[in-house]
Amino acid sequence: MMTARRPEFIDALTGIVGAGQVLSDPDCLEAYGHDEFSLKDIRRSPDLAVRPRTAAEVAAVLKLANEHGVPVTPRGGATGLCGGCVPAAGGIVLSLERMKGIVIDPANQMAEAEAGVTLIEFEKAVDEAGFNFPPHPGEESAMIGGMIVTNAGGSRAVKYGVIRNYVRGLEVVTAAGDILNLGGKLIKSSTGYSLMHLFIGSEGTLGVVTKAVIQLRAKPALTRSLVIPFETLDAAVETVPEIFRRDIVPLALEFVPLDVIRLTEAHLQRTWPSHDGETHLFVILDAASEDEMDRLSESVAEAALERGALDVFIADTAAKQDNVLAIRSRMYEALKAETIEILDVCVPRAEIPGHVKRVSEIAAKYGVWLPTFGHAGDGNVHTHLMKARYENGRFVPVPEAEWRAALEPVRAEIYADGMARGGVISGEHGIGLVKKPYLAMSLSPAQVELMRGIKRVFDPRGILNPGKIFD
Amino acid sequence: MNMIVFVKRVPDTESRIRIQRETSTVIEEGLNFVISPNDEYAVEEGLRLREAQGGKVTAVSLGGDEALTILRKCLAMGADEALLIKDDRKETYDGLRVARILAAAVRTRFADADLLLFGRLSVGADNAQVPAMTAELLGWPQATVVTRLAIEGRAGTAHREIEGAVEKVVFTLPAVVAAQKGLNEPRYETLKGIMAAKKKTIPAVAPAELGLTAEDIAPRVEVLSLETPPAKTGGRLLGGTPEEAARELVRLLRDEAKVV
Repeated sequence: MMTARRPEFIDALTGIVGAGQVLSDPDCLEAYGHDEFSLKDIRRSPDLAVRPRTAAEVAAVLKLANEHGVPVTPRGGATGLCGGCVPAAGGIVLSLERMKGIVIDPANQMAEAEAGVTLIEFEKAVDEAGFNFPPHPGEESAMIGGMIVTNAGGSRAVKYGVIRNYVRGLEVVTAAGDILNLGGKLIKSSTGYSLMHLFIGSEGTLGVVTKAVIQLRAKPALTRSLVIPFETLDAAVETVPEIFRRDIVPLALEFVPLDVIRLTEAHLQRTWPSHDGETHLFVILDAASEDEMDRLSESVAEAALERGALDVFIADTAAKQDNVLAIRSRMYEALKAETIEILDVCVPRAEIPGHVKRVSEIAAKYGVWLPTFGHAGDGNVHTHLMKARYENGRFVPVPEAEWRAALEPVRAEIYADGMARGGVISGEHGIGLVKKPYLAMSLSPAQVELMRGIKRVFDPRGILNPGKIFD
Repeated sequence: MNMIVFVKRVPDTESRIRIQRETSTVIEEGLNFVISPNDEYAVEEGLRLREAQGGKVTAVSLGGDEALTILRKCLAMGADEALLIKDDRKETYDGLRVARILAAAVRTRFADADLLLFGRLSVGADNAQVPAMTAELLGWPQATVVTRLAIEGRAGTAHREIEGAVEKVVFTLPAVVAAQKGLNEPRYETLKGIMAAKKKTIPAVAPAELGLTAEDIAPRVEVLSLETPPAKTGGRLLGGTPEEAARELVRLLRDEAKVV
């Protein structure tokens, strides 16, 4: 019998986390065997799921697992898209869902949040304290720990950066069960290597993040959303550098195709401001005053109209802004039932038109539908690999043999184009299991070998989230 | 068709309202103000009728200079003209006072109006009095809580959302119509519209210029106090195994909530 399933091992874990917090019933464990990635191919139930409440409990669990060589896969909100929290080697899933403490420190304008705090809980607490946390990776049930270890981004990264820019300190538990306090409520530190930054984006392979110190910002006085329809994708994305050239950095700057807008409208029973053209830019601006907001909007509009925008629609009430933001952020939900995988290529911003054009050529070559949209402002392009086509306003399923045959070459060709343009295969989702075979397209053997060396330092027995990022 | 749309500036429905208890007023600092959402349906309906049948849409607001912002928004949405009836009083919650002023404005400034469009009620005051009272004062037919409107020649047909049914009414113009959610989906302002709106001037009139005396515009409702509702108490989490939690839930539903 696997060590993890032995009664004495389960008893020892129960001794650490308490009765009811070690799950071994296969029906319960199934829920801990997958993330948001849609294909069943990578699912695997763990032998046990353990739900600690404190960093000390996490440390004791890891120490025990390390002694017995039992794999441990940390798990947050499981909203990932690349199988990062799937227990690929079995063993224990260490769910941080019960670690929900939040303390706001107004004087330092920072928050201390435990790993299991969800984005929506965090935003609520931050808002009530009168502050703002800009990163918004979309899915609001994502948890702080998971967002940090994937270095999550989202659409507001263009102006305010990704989560790495907000982490000031981390409490991390190593594989051996040591609790490290890295960084702190500090803006500066030139004190040795930054181990903290190694953990950000480490996908749970180096240690378990249990708590974070997070920088907050003042609330923006005003925000306004603009929806700008264009006849062509080219005209839309070519407007982007024009906006930056005017020294305007929008909070978000997204491009979205009209067919995806339409199907999301149908899915949500909401209406987008315009159905003109083929591709729309969705711009969110923030400003301190109405005058400044007007100046920014007019300048963006001028740039857009010069590039052939059909019009510029404005959402400035909370209700209208919520409406357009809901449609933009829930596009994935509308596509989800027919989505195989969401790619996450990030290219230099100026390469977006070329890359998106290449994606449509690949779609034509393989006869597949590749709805593509994303963060025009930061170069992060989300191409959706689909098991359906979209014809006359509805999904038309593609036979499984057909979409499976196209999956591999389509993915490889899109990645190849992204890399040729100086991009990376993942801008914000992480590598996990699903992108692991393609890591070598982004990183040289020397880089991967250094990463393996770092992994051995932190986790010599290889118990932490084995099989992720690289083998 | 000559249409007058009455709009009111109200705190954004998503704002958290704070109250100054001493003066029984809402603290305006930190609030965002918008056109009352029901009024926005009225503006949209006016614009759609004009686009279909021709005519003119004039947006009118009663309030201080702050109301100019929402009038400008109406112009940006496509209204032809706007008028501010300047009222230096803060919110009086006196629907009859407002109706007297608006009726006087219609008699003196818009005697040729065919249709007065209102929102069903203004968010915040929640009185739902002004449209009906204005119609009464003018002696015009009225249709309130309207979710569908058709005008043909001098006849109007409106669907009214009433408890458990939809009431269909017909009326003749001139008339008063109060819009309910569902009537339409208000358009978004466009930047071209905003730029054009900026070039327009918005005239202002004082109640005295509408033939109203100080007595006519004196409020007859006094607000004695204004209080925020008590905070919601948090829910209860039932612990234990699913079986224990279910047993406890049934017990609570039976013994405490007395619903089963």
